[in-house]
Amino acid sequence: MASAMIEYPGDVPVWVNTDNCKACDLCVSVCPSGVLGMVYETTSTLGAMISVNNPESCIGCNECELSCPDFAIYVANKKEFKFAKLTDDSKARQEKIIANNYMSLDIQGVK
Amino acid sequence: MAFNYDKYLRLEKMPTLWCWGCGDGVILKAFVRAVDKLGLNKDDICVVSGIGCSGRFSSYVDFNTVHTTHGRTVAFATGIKLANPDKHVICVGGDGDTLAIGGNHTIHGARRNIDITFIIINNFIYGLTNSQTSPTTPQGMWTVSQKAGNIDPTFNATNLGIAAGASFVARESMLDPKKLEKVFVKALEHKGFAFLDILSNCHINLGRKNKMQSAMANLEWIDSITISKKKYDALPEEERLNLLPTGILKDDKVVREYCDMYQEIKDVHQGKRSKITQDDFEKKI
Repeated sequence: MASAMIEYPGDVPVWVNTDNCKACDLCVSVCPSGVLGMVYETTSTLGAMISVNNPESCIGCNECELSCPDFAIYVANKKEFKFAKLTDDSKARQEKIIANNYMSLDIQGVK
Repeated sequence: MAFNYDKYLRLEKMPTLWCWGCGDGVILKAFVRAVDKLGLNKDDICVVSGIGCSGRFSSYVDFNTVHTTHGRTVAFATGIKLANPDKHVICVGGDGDTLAIGGNHTIHGARRNIDITFIIINNFIYGLTNSQTSPTTPQGMWTVSQKAGNIDPTFNATNLGIAAGASFVARESMLDPKKLEKVFVKALEHKGFAFLDILSNCHINLGRKNKMQSAMANLEWIDSITISKKKYDALPEEERLNLLPTGILKDDKVVREYCDMYQEIKDVHQGKRSKITQDDFEKKI
């Protein structure tokens, strides 16, 4: 593999190297604003893959990047992207995602 | 641009062999960020690791690395440090590696106060060999070697480090990577034996049979048994029983470092000074 990090694709707060992601749910569990969620992915070992569902809510706290054990998720810095503020809506969405077993809200069931 | 780990990694080894959600990766990242923050040259660092899941640590970082025998990290690192006193030597081992098999090396490394950063990745189990009881496995938990429940009393690693004479002792968990990075920075800057007990998760081999099947469930359990040192000190004695204090538990900058004293032995043999006597030491016994 040439690199763990994928070059900044531009105009996104969070981007993912899906080759490294093992779908452990850690990033989804630490996100405060419901940006991330898991989706089904048949080619992945655990049958799931991370998906950035609500990039407009990202507050740029960096928690997902810091707690990813596999060098898979990256967050833009504050100069590159204008991040949103934490709202009650996004907090509520995060609670729903956790209650939905870390899966994206449009997907029912477990990983 | 986000922090780029690539220049510190052996990318041909990626992705890591660790299980999904393993704390070892978080600790590895925090360590790399700490090295970057200090601006250390890659050639000035030597990472020595033992056997176990934590032993993979040295495979993924692009520093000078030694993957040694089970529990003997400090023995190898002592030699490396004495030959290269100006380099940073980092030992990485698991709880079984450093406290059981390598227990003797650990306590004597700490006693000598040699300038090594000693990282214990403590996941409460022998994870690589499928859940045998380790010295830190909590009592009452299921393990392969004690299927009726573990009855062995547990080790408090940081108390061991303090008692053995390490000059910098800290405990942190991988739940807070930012704090972890700060502790690594302090430990790398510290001159003397820096004894770090880093709590990590093993939801695969510890959690599976102990009602912590997911990484999050295991981390919640770690969160429930850790408490910051400040709050721990304020608690009455009887409530401290099942809690582990986190943070910097000992930071002694006065005690002498082993490489400095070893230099004096060299000076004796080179005829630069007279023999070392008891008068050279403040603490004699």
